[in-house]
Amino acid sequence: MSQALDDRTESIRMIRDSAGAVAPRGGDTKRVRALRFQAPGFDRAVFAEMGALGWIGLAVTEEAGGAGLGMSEAVALAEEIGAGLAPEPLIPAMLSARLLAASEDKALLGPLLEGGKVVLTAWQEKADTLAVPGTPDAPRVFVPMAAGADAFLLPVREGNLISLHVLEAAGADLVLEKTMDGGNLGTLRADLGRATRVADDIGAVIEQALDEAALVTAGHMLGLAEKAFELTLAYLRTRQQFGRIIGTFQALQHRAADLKIHIALIRAAVESAAATLDAGATGAVRQAAVSKAKHRAIESGMLVLRQCIQLHGGIGYTDEYDVGLYLRRGMVIMNQYGSANLHRRRFMALAPEDVE
Amino acid sequence: MVSIAPKETTDLNQMEDEAFRLHVRSWIEANYPAELRNPPKRLHWEENKPWYFMLAEKGWLCPGWPRQFGGLGLSPAKQIIFTEEIERHGCARTNDHGIVMVGPLLINHGTPEQQQEFLPKILNGEHIWCQGYSEPNAGSDLAALRTEAVLDGDHYVVNGQKIWTTLAMDANWCFLLVRTDKNAKKQEGISFLLVDMATPGITVKPIINLEYHDEFCEVFFDNVRVPAKNLVGTPNRGWDMAKALLSFERIYLGSPRLSAYAFTRLRQLAERMGAWEDPAFQETYGRLRLDLEDLKSLYGAFVDKLRRGETLGPDVSMLKVFQTELFQRITDTMLDIAGENAGLLEPMEGNRNLNPTGLYIQARPATIYGGSNEIQRNILSKNVLGLPG
Repeated sequence: MSQALDDRTESIRMIRDSAGAVAPRGGDTKRVRALRFQAPGFDRAVFAEMGALGWIGLAVTEEAGGAGLGMSEAVALAEEIGAGLAPEPLIPAMLSARLLAASEDKALLGPLLEGGKVVLTAWQEKADTLAVPGTPDAPRVFVPMAAGADAFLLPVREGNLISLHVLEAAGADLVLEKTMDGGNLGTLRADLGRATRVADDIGAVIEQALDEAALVTAGHMLGLAEKAFELTLAYLRTRQQFGRIIGTFQALQHRAADLKIHIALIRAAVESAAATLDAGATGAVRQAAVSKAKHRAIESGMLVLRQCIQLHGGIGYTDEYDVGLYLRRGMVIMNQYGSANLHRRRFMALAPEDVE
Repeated sequence: MVSIAPKETTDLNQMEDEAFRLHVRSWIEANYPAELRNPPKRLHWEENKPWYFMLAEKGWLCPGWPRQFGGLGLSPAKQIIFTEEIERHGCARTNDHGIVMVGPLLINHGTPEQQQEFLPKILNGEHIWCQGYSEPNAGSDLAALRTEAVLDGDHYVVNGQKIWTTLAMDANWCFLLVRTDKNAKKQEGISFLLVDMATPGITVKPIINLEYHDEFCEVFFDNVRVPAKNLVGTPNRGWDMAKALLSFERIYLGSPRLSAYAFTRLRQLAERMGAWEDPAFQETYGRLRLDLEDLKSLYGAFVDKLRRGETLGPDVSMLKVFQTELFQRITDTMLDIAGENAGLLEPMEGNRNLNPTGLYIQARPATIYGGSNEIQRNILSKNVLGLPG
């Protein structure tokens, strides 16, 4: 194995280890449960810890103050975060960090990277899109965990360029809606009159950063599916009905085997896409790899989460039992940064088949 | 011979089917509270009792009970029309265990004293019943239930725990499956007891479910003394009666109403989200629509059997499996097209017709309750197909 590969394996291992401090896999869900439906829906101290661990700037270059790591580390981290159900808006913050690092005015970047300020990008004008807004003053929708934002980034299309503006959250016109997992989504009025311009053109970066966010979200889904499946296997190994451990019933064994295949497919798609991006892929190759991973993560991930409820029976439908927390989080993240339909369409448009 | 005068003095069986349908429809439309149409969650007694009392007042609460017991005495064919009209209007499900379970149980197996005591109080809304069947270790394997009742003089002393007891917090009576013979084969030591929920020693604990709703409960019994006269039928013969009541549940759960309701909402959502014009969506929609059409046909075939007065066999499990899984596939498709709305706790835009996440969550337990689909498939493979094992 080459030195470079060894280094990569090591840095992924270190990232996974460090995640345990904040989002312990298999740890209790007391923290997660206590934060549900309590504004802002996450813990600012934990967000700051994520900053201190270098996660918010994970994919930001070292010269801009980031960790200079790649997508392989980012998806491994997101997987751990998903498995531990951490509600902090890490993926949206990573997106914001990428945009600020490419801006002329970087005043907010330091505080964001440290986790001292929660900066969220209000980039969406409609549901299920990866396109940056065309209308400057259109309301920005579906801003994750907007209740806890200190500032918003507003990308604005100006001809062929996309400028970036900072809007302070204090005094912003923001409408919040609760989400299934106890968090929130915000609709923000894009009040450019109150905003500060920080970049003239982040067009090339935002396209790439949204792709990265889509891929990292696929990693988050992988973590949800893995952990929910782990709980389910434990249940199949202990629950008794008809005088037998239910995991001895062949129908359930086969179902579990099928779910394992789906999880392996998600992991393969996500990790190979991350490697493709880390190898410097651009344009159609990058987009096709991301779409392949996000599509698989949604299709197989939601199937796994649904079946995990079913295999638990009645207890799986209670709020008290943890497996449902994974399904609810899955519902919230599944279509963020593009639905399965969107990514399937994009993949088909970008990745022509080799026809002999 | 028990005789309870029916409130509805007209014999509605004499009407032509279409005239009867319109008669039911116009009464519902004129009387049903608008704010209770298509409730997003199962309603509690406090919420649905105006409707319950309206039906009771009209004498339409128990369409299937014979007229001599105060019911409407409708023929199977008329009952089906009645149910279709209730569903068509989106009427809330009431706390109906007394109507659909306890009534038929007592009419078929109760003593005249039990019939005289309990049936009128179901008809007037004084008694609201819950069903004490499942236990933490007796879910799919219901016959393994361990809540026991030991005879002590003229009372049974009940100890144990029930779970998934729907709306137990609203109920003042419970029909309970208990073990009365620990030494017999597990199906042969079970009896039916009628228990006043106000008896000392009963604790009800609501369970919050994935809808953040407290529809189900745990019920604990600690030395609860139940008069021996409240045992229904023969001691240790409760299992066969319980099974007969569950086959009713399977056709109820196989009714296309939930799928049909979700399907109309799928179209509204698709139009709102701009997916309606997408040929790929139309393909999916077409498949679901044909599945729904064929479910209606299959349901119709079972209903025709009832109409002819036949009893349904174990093959009715097919309906429960297909209906509940179709309901899930429709709501899965809703999330697929809902974009980021797939994560919302409440209906979109304050419009209860645009509620993809609520329906998606509601569809989850449909394959679990009423005998999980795994159990239904066991029934089909063993009792219908005759496969060994």
